[in-house]
Amino acid sequence: MALRTRPRNILFPTWIAVLALLVVAGIVGGILVFSRGLIITNLSDLVPWGLWITIDLSAIALSAGAFLFSAAVYLLGLKQFRPVARTAVFIGIIGYSMAMLMLLLDIGRPDRFWHALAFWNIHSPLWEVTMCVCLYFMVLTLEVIPIFGQASWTRRRLPRLSGQMIRVHHLAPILAVFGLVLSMLHQSSLGATYGVLKARPIWYRPGLAVLFIVSAIVAGPALIVLASKLTSKLSNKVSVNDHLLDQIMRFIGWALVVYLYFRFWDALAMSYTYEPARSEGLNMLTRGPLAFNFWLGEILLGIVIPMIILLSSRFRRQPRLYLPALALVVLGLGIYRWDINLVGQLVVAGALPQELVPVYTHYVPSLVEFVAGIGVIAYGILAFTLGARYLNVVNHDEQLSEGEALKIKDLPPATAKD
Amino acid sequence: MDKNAIGRRKFLKLGLAGAAVAAAGPKLLASNSGKARKSDNDAEETHSWAMVIDQSRCRGCGQCTLACQAFNDTHPDIEWNRVIETGEVGGQQTFIPVPCMHCEDAPCVHICPVGATYNRADGIVMMDYDRCIGCRYCEVACPYGCRSFNWEKFDDDNPAIPTYGQPQVARRPRGVVEKCSFCFQRIDRGLEMGLKPGVDQAATPACVVACPLGARMFGDLNDPNSPVSKILAHHASFRLKEGLGTGPRVYYLPVHNEESEEVIEEVPA
Repeated sequence: MALRTRPRNILFPTWIAVLALLVVAGIVGGILVFSRGLIITNLSDLVPWGLWITIDLSAIALSAGAFLFSAAVYLLGLKQFRPVARTAVFIGIIGYSMAMLMLLLDIGRPDRFWHALAFWNIHSPLWEVTMCVCLYFMVLTLEVIPIFGQASWTRRRLPRLSGQMIRVHHLAPILAVFGLVLSMLHQSSLGATYGVLKARPIWYRPGLAVLFIVSAIVAGPALIVLASKLTSKLSNKVSVNDHLLDQIMRFIGWALVVYLYFRFWDALAMSYTYEPARSEGLNMLTRGPLAFNFWLGEILLGIVIPMIILLSSRFRRQPRLYLPALALVVLGLGIYRWDINLVGQLVVAGALPQELVPVYTHYVPSLVEFVAGIGVIAYGILAFTLGARYLNVVNHDEQLSEGEALKIKDLPPATAKD
Repeated sequence: MDKNAIGRRKFLKLGLAGAAVAAAGPKLLASNSGKARKSDNDAEETHSWAMVIDQSRCRGCGQCTLACQAFNDTHPDIEWNRVIETGEVGGQQTFIPVPCMHCEDAPCVHICPVGATYNRADGIVMMDYDRCIGCRYCEVACPYGCRSFNWEKFDDDNPAIPTYGQPQVARRPRGVVEKCSFCFQRIDRGLEMGLKPGVDQAATPACVVACPLGARMFGDLNDPNSPVSKILAHHASFRLKEGLGTGPRVYYLPVHNEESEEVIEEVPA
């Protein structure tokens, strides 16, 4: 509020305006896709999954903080992380809504999005992902209802409803159990979606399911810490508990070690003996057109450098180092999803028995894919900005979180008096 | 292969049945799990359709593709039956036409999230265009690249009509995946009329009828006297990517030098 009344501070309105503009551009792109069909994308029968799927996968993986912190607080009893869990579930619901928006655009028949719920094929990893995402979205909705109940507007205008919304918080431990189960299922199944396809030898490996969930466990919390730190730097209303976030950064550092270990064996195991299409795919990643992404984006900047920064307690004290490190982890995850999605499609194993040399395809997203994709990302950032400002989603003020705990017990009689 | 499928099926059912039943009741679970539709159970299980393509007779003229595009009224960019150039044998260019393999253990059937593609009792891999959501997972999953997506609405005239045939199937809407159907409409109607698919032209897939060199044969593997059973009993044959365990229903007779010369003599210029 203080920021808004000061005329000299135009940073916030400008930021909102830019994001809103990108969202509007995205909506225009979406309308174009709905009216003219997917023909205006650069997707093809050989590369049917592109930029939008990458955004889907990344948004879901980066929402992993929600289930992790809910589980940490309500199942492991690490109560001190409660304010972080609050931020995490808010970012989580934004991430999942981004993924659903993006998917709606990507499927050929958005009017039939509900078919996966009505017509089950329990053999399909994608069916399982769809069910889990829908159920988990309900869990997240219940988890964020208290946040909306606590908003000052709700409390002022609808005190009775506000009390009821805050009381949904009593479900938190049960929701944490559901969140953990559903997330473990679909975060890994997204990897299995690729991993079960024998048609694409570079994808066909059990490691993908493991790598998808491990990378999500690394990058999800990184986004939460990054968003919390940035919010506290840009707003004078918000205070964060640096000690708490430091602990999470240390966890991310160690998680990166585990992730690098899995990535190392995953890549090394594929490098032995020639296998049609798989070896070409690996070559494409390590020496071919995706090599820059792979070595620089995924490994060096996405894992190694942030790992060093986040494991050193000295480096972790310097915002100039840890902020880029966290951003690199988040970006590295996106690049990993992009590369893994693309590499299986750029190399197509020949159908013929005597044909050993695979076919190479090509894909660069079209303008409308970029505009719609950026629109969805801008929506996510906009929603978080508004949440941080008006819903207090980032606030580690000890008093407030204690107060919340009290209010949950005290509110019913208080509202009754009103 | 079959054993595996059953093992996994059981595993999945044990794991998921509990959750599934609790979540939304067994009615939905029973409604579909990638198996045959209720209405298609009538498709007689006594049949097991298969196609045989003789590489030594194929000259790559593409009549099969054009007839397919006319009969199934596909977009000109969509080929349900691609004809691919393969190597030379004895100085003679060879070709390999690739329709849908109608796999017995089809990857697309396993992974379609809504069960829009499924095995009929007679082996045909069906597409339910009313159920497909257009996620294109099957395109990514097909080892043979036999699936095409309707990227745009097809309103224009079909250039293959009427030269190569008349459409017998409704056009698919924008946003769904389509593929070779083994012309099941022709088979089903033919059987109703008492015809024999693979022998009577009206009951045989359009590409088989259209081939001017007789390189394609069609028939029932369960019938020892069908054209396909007879030729497979006496000729060496191969299927594409047999190592994947998909069990294709399209068999190829490899090029044989002497045979190909014979054929050349037979074909009138």
